[in-house]
Amino acid sequence: MPDPVDTSGLSDLPLDDLVACHECDLLMRKPELAHGEKALCPRCGYELYAHRHNVVERSLALVIAALLLYIPANFLPIMQLNLLGQTSEDTVWSGVLGLFNTGMQGVAVVVFLCSMGIPLLKLLCQLLVLLSIRWNIGRSYGLLLYRIYHHLRDWGMLEVYLMGVLVAIVKLADLAAITVGLGLVCFVSLLLVQVWLEVVMSAHQIWEALSGEDLHAGD
Amino acid sequence: MRAIEAGILICTECHELNKQEPDTDEQVCTRCGALVHPRRPNSIMRTWALLITAAILYIPANLLPIMTVSTLGQGEGDTIMSGVITLVQHGMFPIAAVVFIASILVPTFKLVGIALLLFSVQRHQPLSARQRIIMYRFIEFIGRWSMLDIFVIAILVAVVNFGRLASIEANLGAVAFASVVILTMLAAVTFDPRLIWDNTESDDDHE
Repeated sequence: MPDPVDTSGLSDLPLDDLVACHECDLLMRKPELAHGEKALCPRCGYELYAHRHNVVERSLALVIAALLLYIPANFLPIMQLNLLGQTSEDTVWSGVLGLFNTGMQGVAVVVFLCSMGIPLLKLLCQLLVLLSIRWNIGRSYGLLLYRIYHHLRDWGMLEVYLMGVLVAIVKLADLAAITVGLGLVCFVSLLLVQVWLEVVMSAHQIWEALSGEDLHAGD
Repeated sequence: MRAIEAGILICTECHELNKQEPDTDEQVCTRCGALVHPRRPNSIMRTWALLITAAILYIPANLLPIMTVSTLGQGEGDTIMSGVITLVQHGMFPIAAVVFIASILVPTFKLVGIALLLFSVQRHQPLSARQRIIMYRFIEFIGRWSMLDIFVIAILVAVVNFGRLASIEANLGAVAFASVVILTMLAAVTFDPRLIWDNTESDDDHE
């Protein structure tokens, strides 16, 4: 196989034989990947793309699992606090409401978006994109939704929220008796499924499937 | 060889390659329809603007109280730093370290780090591109973790709600702090990492 960064005549090759690094703009010949392999940029080390098995089917299963976990994760109590005979419960949603009702509307909106709104939108975008590939309908909407998904990506912060839960538990441990609720279990599962989904749903293959370059993606 | 030299533009959204069309300002990606530019337009100026706004808000974020804990009707404001100190005084060192890193070290590092990246790109410094890309990736990855304190406040406000016995409410410092985090995240998104490599002397320094 020729050296991928051998520069002679690169600009004369057709675009289909080329790949450029998204982070450092290095132009290369496109390497052939087997299942399970991934290509890294030789200059800056950015992951160019990976090639995975059954991307659409596995991702669909994970998206559906994540959506099922979403409601209990956000509305079941994460913890219960017992102070001198009084109990109070905390859910992700009650945290948002609590901030909103004490005059911190701006912060409440930010917390809502980062912990509930954007994670849900991301999952819905992924679901619709996968269905559009699977059933071969509405590909142009699929492209648009997948673009939206990429813009939302950085703003869903489930893992940071989980860390926040841990910090809050430690802070409160001295004050009062704490019981961890079922909501926390669902929240952790949702987080794990979502991380797994991001690994499985290889962006490069989804883009190719959406644009019809990869005819077997929906199989 | 850089793609831009071969007249090829990468779509920033779907990473598809596009042949650069002459005489057009608004070229769209052939695959996903997003606007494609050789480099993000005004990347440096926009990043500076976001960064300076964040730096100004950084001051009230650290000086104003972020929440008030009241027990039996008496309350006192907690700033970010005093929250960390309280944790240390109670002997909870690991969690104090996590909060200190997420709320104080990371935002400070981000402000300084993005400013350094911008300086080195603007001044065409022959600083190692590898060091700069590692810094950029670190900043991009770590930024979200500063939201930690905001989430902790949200949880505490909801759960510690016993009327006069004990209650917690959020204060203005939290608004400023959340804005700093969001602005620095936007600054990291606006910065075009390809600029880091544009002013390195040769293309062959990938060994």
